[in-house]
Amino acid sequence: MKRTFTKIFFLAVLCFSAFSVFAQSTTIKGKVIDATDKLPLPGVTVTLSGGGNATQTDVNGNYTISAASNATLVFTYIGYTTQQLPVSGETMNVSLAQSSRNLEQVVVVGYGTQKRKDLTGSISSVNGDELAKQPSINPINALQGKVPGLTISTSGAAGSSPTVRLRGINTTSGSADPIYVVDGLIQTNIDFLNPGDIESIDVLRDASSVAIYGLRGGNGVIAVTTKKGAKGRTSVSFQSLTGIQHVTNTIDVTDAAGFRKLYSAQLANQGGAPFDYTNYTANTDWQKLILRDALISSNSLTVTNAGEKSTTVLSLGYNKQEGVVKYNDYQKYNIRLNEEIRITNDIKIGANVNGFHFVNNPTSVSLNNALWAAPIVGVQNGNQYYAMPSFQRAQVGNPVATLDRFDRTTIDKGYRVNGSLFAEIKFLKNFTWRSSVYTNLNFNSTRGYTPLPFTMINLGEGTTPTSTFLDPNIRTGVSQTSGELREYQQDHTLTYEKEFTGGHRLTALAGFTTLHSSATNLSGARTDFNLNVPNNPDFWYLDVVSQNGTGNIITNGGNGSVESTAGAFGRVNYAYQNKYLVNATIRRDGNSKISPANRWETFGSIGLGWVASEENFFKTALPGINYFKLRGAFGRLGNSSIQNYAFQPVTLNGTNAVFGDNIYSAVTTNYTADPNLRFEIIQGIDAGFDIRALDNRFNAEVSYYSKTTKGLLTRVTLPNGVPPLLTNLGDINNKGIEFSAGWNDKIGKDFKYGISGNFSYVKNKVTSIGPGFDFQLSNNNFINVTQTGQSVGYFYGYKQTGIYQTPADISRTPAFADSQPGDISYADINGDGVISAADRTYLGTPFPPYSYGLNLNFAYKGFDLAAQGQGVAGNKIYLQRRTAAFAPLNYEANRLNAWTGPGTSNVEPLINNARGNNYLFSTYFLEPGDYFRVRNLQIGYTFSPALLKKASIQTLRIFFSGQNIKTWSKTTGYTPEAQLGDVLASGADNGVYPVPAVYSLGLNVSF
Amino acid sequence: MKLSNTTYKTLKQSAIAFACVSILSTVAGCNKFLDTQPQGAYTLENYPYQAGAGPYDTYIFGAYNFLKDYNISAAPFIVATSIRSDDADKGSTASDGGADVITMDNFPVLPSNGIANALWVNHYTLINRCNIALDQIKNNTAIVADAAVKAQSEAEMRFLRGYSYFMLVRLFGGVPLIDKLSDVAQSNVPRATAAATYAFIEQDLQFAATNLPASWDPKFIGRTTRGAANGILAKVYLTQKKWAEAMNAANAVMTSGQYDLSTPYTRVFSEEGENGKESVFEIQGTASSTEPTANGIQYANIQGVRGSGTFDMGWGWNTPSPQLEAAYETGDPRKDRTILYTAAGSKSLYGEDIPTGLPNPRYNNKVYTNPTYRSLYNSRMGYWMNVRILRYADVVLMYAEAANEVGGAQNIASAVTALNSVRARARNGNTAILPNIVTTDQAVAREAIRRERRVELAMEHDRFFDLVRWGISQDAMTAAGKTNFSANRDNLLPIPQAQIDLSKGVLTPNPGY
Repeated sequence: MKRTFTKIFFLAVLCFSAFSVFAQSTTIKGKVIDATDKLPLPGVTVTLSGGGNATQTDVNGNYTISAASNATLVFTYIGYTTQQLPVSGETMNVSLAQSSRNLEQVVVVGYGTQKRKDLTGSISSVNGDELAKQPSINPINALQGKVPGLTISTSGAAGSSPTVRLRGINTTSGSADPIYVVDGLIQTNIDFLNPGDIESIDVLRDASSVAIYGLRGGNGVIAVTTKKGAKGRTSVSFQSLTGIQHVTNTIDVTDAAGFRKLYSAQLANQGGAPFDYTNYTANTDWQKLILRDALISSNSLTVTNAGEKSTTVLSLGYNKQEGVVKYNDYQKYNIRLNEEIRITNDIKIGANVNGFHFVNNPTSVSLNNALWAAPIVGVQNGNQYYAMPSFQRAQVGNPVATLDRFDRTTIDKGYRVNGSLFAEIKFLKNFTWRSSVYTNLNFNSTRGYTPLPFTMINLGEGTTPTSTFLDPNIRTGVSQTSGELREYQQDHTLTYEKEFTGGHRLTALAGFTTLHSSATNLSGARTDFNLNVPNNPDFWYLDVVSQNGTGNIITNGGNGSVESTAGAFGRVNYAYQNKYLVNATIRRDGNSKISPANRWETFGSIGLGWVASEENFFKTALPGINYFKLRGAFGRLGNSSIQNYAFQPVTLNGTNAVFGDNIYSAVTTNYTADPNLRFEIIQGIDAGFDIRALDNRFNAEVSYYSKTTKGLLTRVTLPNGVPPLLTNLGDINNKGIEFSAGWNDKIGKDFKYGISGNFSYVKNKVTSIGPGFDFQLSNNNFINVTQTGQSVGYFYGYKQTGIYQTPADISRTPAFADSQPGDISYADINGDGVISAADRTYLGTPFPPYSYGLNLNFAYKGFDLAAQGQGVAGNKIYLQRRTAAFAPLNYEANRLNAWTGPGTSNVEPLINNARGNNYLFSTYFLEPGDYFRVRNLQIGYTFSPALLKKASIQTLRIFFSGQNIKTWSKTTGYTPEAQLGDVLASGADNGVYPVPAVYSLGLNVSF
Repeated sequence: MKLSNTTYKTLKQSAIAFACVSILSTVAGCNKFLDTQPQGAYTLENYPYQAGAGPYDTYIFGAYNFLKDYNISAAPFIVATSIRSDDADKGSTASDGGADVITMDNFPVLPSNGIANALWVNHYTLINRCNIALDQIKNNTAIVADAAVKAQSEAEMRFLRGYSYFMLVRLFGGVPLIDKLSDVAQSNVPRATAAATYAFIEQDLQFAATNLPASWDPKFIGRTTRGAANGILAKVYLTQKKWAEAMNAANAVMTSGQYDLSTPYTRVFSEEGENGKESVFEIQGTASSTEPTANGIQYANIQGVRGSGTFDMGWGWNTPSPQLEAAYETGDPRKDRTILYTAAGSKSLYGEDIPTGLPNPRYNNKVYTNPTYRSLYNSRMGYWMNVRILRYADVVLMYAEAANEVGGAQNIASAVTALNSVRARARNGNTAILPNIVTTDQAVAREAIRRERRVELAMEHDRFFDLVRWGISQDAMTAAGKTNFSANRDNLLPIPQAQIDLSKGVLTPNPGY
C-alpha cells in the first residue's frame, strides 16, 4: 500500500515519471571543477538520468541535489564532456574534461538545437569571440574564409552588407542570399546586430540541414545565437576597438601628361582638330581628392546577470565607420535586453528586445566620376569650380564640386525594433511545448536638400574665351522619404525527447509557423523657384517650399507590398547507442507570391550517420582515432525569392499620353506574367565524414554534395520587345567538395598553437534551360550567358589573339570585313577563315570555383598571435569600367601602351573610340580573379588574472590588428573580390567601392 | 521500446494536431492568409477604366506614351534617320558618342551596335503596347462599347503599329510580324519577307484610314487621324513604287479639307507652329515650369547647341552637312530656317548673339527653341518641342512624285502644280527667288521634285530613306565623303546581334553583315 501510495505521489508531484521510483532518496552534495585547471565550474547542469530533479552549480561550483540511491547523476556543461555517474555516497566531487573540440556543442538546426555529434548534415559553427576579433561593423564580413563553401564578397562602403553565397548558385531570380535566423526570428540581414552580442553563428550548408525551413531555406541558412549570460554569474564586459582604414591600391589612371598624349593621339586617329590645352595646365589626381583615410570604431558593453530564477542580458553598442570615399559616414547604435524567467523547473518564459538605430551620410560622388574626369582640369579657384573641358562637360562633372556641393545634404536615418516573447512548458516529463511570437519593425526616413550650384569656370579653348556660369535653372529643393517594414512571425513547436533503455535516444518535433510582412513607402520632393531654401537641416521639410509658388515643382509617390508564408513541419532525430543516427524532417509550406494553384509544396530531408569510432572493433583496431563519423543526407527545399505579384501582371501607372498641352494618364505592363508560376525546388545530397584523432588534437571534415535546383525562377529577356517574363525555367546543378582540417597542440606548458584550413571546390552547371524555351538567356548586354552545360552567367565573347599590325596581317589572318591595323585580332574559333559572331565562345565563369582559408593561432603565456588569410581562384572579372565610351574619358594606364604603329603593341589596340570592333566583349576586358588576401593579422596580450584581481577585473586583453594588409592579385581594380550581387550578370567591376586595409587597436575587458 | 499509456495518448493527440496543420492547405482561413493582393497597383483585370473618354483610352494612351520614348523619337531615331544620311553629320566633338554613333555617321555599323538594338527593341515595345490595347478592344467583355467606337479604337492602334513596322522595315528590311499578344512559346518568330511586312503595314494603315476620324476635339489634338493614316500610307506605297496607290492616298489627304500650306515656313517649326494646318502627324510633347522634362521628348535637346552657360542647350548632334548647305537655291529662305550658323557675329532666329568657339559650325535650326519658353519652363533642354513626323508639304510632294511617276501629261502637270505650291509658300511673296518650275518632261520634273523634297524636308528624317528608295544612296553618300558606305550592305542596318543571339539564330542577319 505504501509503495502504491509513493508511486501515486511521485506521479503527481514529479510529473509522471514513466519509470517508477522505488528507492529512498538522499541528498547529494559536491563540487564540479575543470579537469585541467582545477578551477570550479559554475553553471554546470546536474540532472538525474531518466529525468526528474535538476539543478545547477553555483559560483563556486557547488551543487546540492536529492536523488534515489540507485540513481545516476548527469553533469552537463557546454564545451565539456558530459559525465554520468551512479550515486555513490553523499558527496560527489566531479571533474569535467573539456570536450573534444565542440563535439558536445549544440548547434542550431531550425526550431531547436542538436549536438554536433548527432548531426548528419553539414553545419559549420563560428564562435562569437572569433568574430569579435575582426574590426567590422557587419559581423558577416568576419566569416570570410572561415567556413568552407561560404563565399563572401565584402564591400568597403561604410555600413554596407556583403554579398553572401553558400555552396554555389542555386537560383537565378532576384535574390540568392541566404536567410539569417537570429534566435529563431527569420531575417534578411543582420545589420542590426552588435558584433559583440553574438555568441555563435551556425552556417547550415547542406540541403538536409535547412529543409525544415522549407521554401525559405533555398539559399542556405545562417543561424545566429546571441549571448545569453552564464548562469550563476554577474558580469560586465566591455569591448572596444578603433582603427584607421586606408585604400592600399588606387586605379592607375593617366596623369595630365599622359592624358594629353593619349587624347591628342585619339583626336588625330579620329580626324578631329587638335585640342587647345593652353588653359588646361593642371595635373589633378581626382581619386586622391575623393578618397581619404577613414576612422572605424566599434564599442559594446554587455551586462549579464543570471540567478536561480532568471537570466538577464543587457547590451549596448556603438559603432562608427567613415567611408574611405569622402564624406561617407555610418553610425549605428544598438541596445538589447534579453530576459528569461524560470517560473518553475518546467515553465519558463522570456522576452528579447533589440533596438537599432543608424545614421548614414551617403557619399555624393561616384568613383567612376573620379576615374573619368580629365586630369588636366584644376579643382577650384576660390568659390568657383572648374568645369570639365568641352569634350566632357555635358557628361562628366567636377567630382570635387559634386562632393562639396552635396556634402551633408542627405539625412538618412533608420530605426529597427524587433522583439520576441516565448513561453516554454515541459510536461509529461518528455514533452516540451514552446510558443514564440516575433515582431520586426523597421522605420527608415531620409531628408534631402538640393543646394544651389557653384559658379563654374569654363576655361577658354581656341577662340572661346574663359567664362564663368552660374546655372539659373538649378534651384534649391527639399525631399523627404519614409519607409516602414512590418514583420510578424509565430512559431509553435511540440518536442518529445526521451532516452530509452538500451541506448535509444529519440527527439520528435512538430510545429507550425506563419510569417507575414508588409511595407509602406512614401516620398516627396519640392523645388522652390522663388526663394532659396537655406543650407540648414532645420528647413529641410517639404512644407518649407510653398505649394502655391509660381513654378515650384512638387512631386510625390507612395507604394506598398504584402507577403505571407505559412508552414507546418516535423522532425525526428533518433540515435542508437550513439552509433547509428537518423534525422528526418518534413515541411509543408505555402506562400502568397506563388500562383494559387501551385501555392503549397512539401519539403523534407533524411539523414543517416554511423559513428564508427563507437564500435568496439574500431576502438581496438584504430585506438589513435578518437572519433570517426560517416554521414549522408538528402534534402528537398524551395525558393520563392522573386518579386511580388509575379504571377499576375500589375499595371504600371505614371505613364501618360500628351495631346497638345493636355496630359492624360495611361496604363501599361512592364513584365509578362506567368499565371502558372511555381516554386523553385532544390534537391540535393550531402555525404562526408568527420574525424578527430591523436588525442583530439587533429580534426578534419570532408563533405561532398550535389544539389539541383529545378524550375528556376527566372526573369527572361524576350526578343521583339515583349516585356520580360517571370517564369520557371530549367535546372542548375551545384556539386562540390569541402574540406577542412585543424591541428591544435601545446609545446611545453606555455606554448599553444593551432593551424586550421579549409578548401572548397564547387562546380556550377546549368543542366537544362527548360522544355519549350527556345530563347537564349543572357544579361549585361550579352556579356553573361546562361546555357545548358555551362556555369550560370558565364562570360561569352571573343578571344584576343593580338593586334593586327599591318594590312598584310589582316589579309593573312582571319579578320572582320572592316578590321584595320591597330585593331584587336580575335581567334577564329570555328575555323571558317573570318571573324564573325560565330567565333564567340566560353571565356570563363564569374563565380570562383575554388576558395580557401587559412588560420594560424599561437599563444605564449599572455601573448597570442593570430593570422588569417583567404583566397579564391579560377574565376574571371569583367572590366566593365573600361568599356565606357560615351565621351572621351580619362584613360587607365594600360592605354599608354596603345598601338601606334606596327610592332608597338600586341595587346593594346589603337586609341580610337570609333573602332567598334575593339569594344566587342573579349578576353581583352577580362582579368583573372584569383587572389589571396591576408584578412587579419592580430597580436594580443591577456593580462594575468592574479594581477587583475586587485583591480577587480576578471579578464583583460588588448590587441593590435591589421586587416586586408596585403593582397596578391592580378586585378587592376580597387578590390579583386568579384561582384556577385546580380546572379545572371555577376563578375563585373564597374567602379567597385574599395575594400580598405584597416589598422586597429582594441580592448576587451570584463569585471 | 516501452511507452506508457499517457505517452501513447499524447503522441496520438499530437499526431492528430500535426495532421491538422499538415492539411492546412485546404483550410480556408489559411488560404485567405496567403491570398495577398497587389498593394497600390491595379492589374489589367481590375483597372477601373475612365468614364467620359473613350473606354479603351487608358490602354491606347499607353501606346501613345511610348511615342515619346528616347529610342522612338530621340537619339536613336535621329541617328538612324538623319545622321546616317548625306545631309547631316554626327556633330559634337570627334569622339563623342563612341563607336555606336560614330559608325552610324560613317559606317560600317556593326551588328553589336547598341543603337540598332535599341531601335529594334523599342519599336517592338511600341508594337506590343498596341497589341495590349488591341487585345482589350477585342477580348475585354467588361468594357461595353459599340462597334464604331471599337473600330475607331482599333484603327488608332493599328495606325501606330503600322507606323512602327514601317520604321522597322525601312531600317532593317523584313522583320518578324507580331500581330497579337503572344505567349512566350509563340514569340520567337522568324523574319517575314520585306514584301510580307509591307503587305501587313498596308492592311493596318488601310484599316486606320477607313476608321479614324478626320479630326479630333481640341483636347485630343495630335491623336491619329484619317489624314495621318492616308499620309503614311502614301509613303508606304511610294517606298514600294506603287505610284498610283501613293497618288490616291496623298490625294485623299489633300482633298480632306483638313490641311493647307498657309502656315509660313518659318513658323512651321516653332513652338507656335505645332499642330497647325501643316501638321498631319506630330509626336506630342509638353513641358511646364513644374515638369520641364517628364512630359516631353528629348528630341530637341540631343540636337541643341553644344555651348556652355545659357548656350548649353544640348548635345550638338545631327549637324547639317556642307552638302545640304550647297543644295539650296540662291536666296532660298528655308536654308536659314534649317541651318543655324555659329560663325562669329551670328544671331539666333530670336536675335540672341551666338557665342564664339562652339565646337560645330552649323546646328539644326529647326529644333532651336524660343527663349521665351526656355525662361518660362526654367529649362534649356527643349523637351517641349513636338517631333514633326508628317507635314502637309511632305504629302504634297509625295503626291507630286507619285503623279509624275504614274506619268501622262495630265499627271505630270498636276505634279508640277503641286511642286510649285510648295515653292510658292517657301518664296513667301519674294518674287526674286524660287521661281516656279515649268516643265512637261517627266525626268526633269523628277529631278526637281527630288531636289525640292531635299530642301523643303531637310533634317526631317526622310533623306536617308529617300536616297535608298530612289536607288541613289551610293552616289550621294560617296559625294558627301561617307566613303565607307556600301549600299549593298548599308542601305539596311544590321539585325542586332543581341536579337539574333536571343532568338538562337531564328533571326537571320542582313546581307553583308
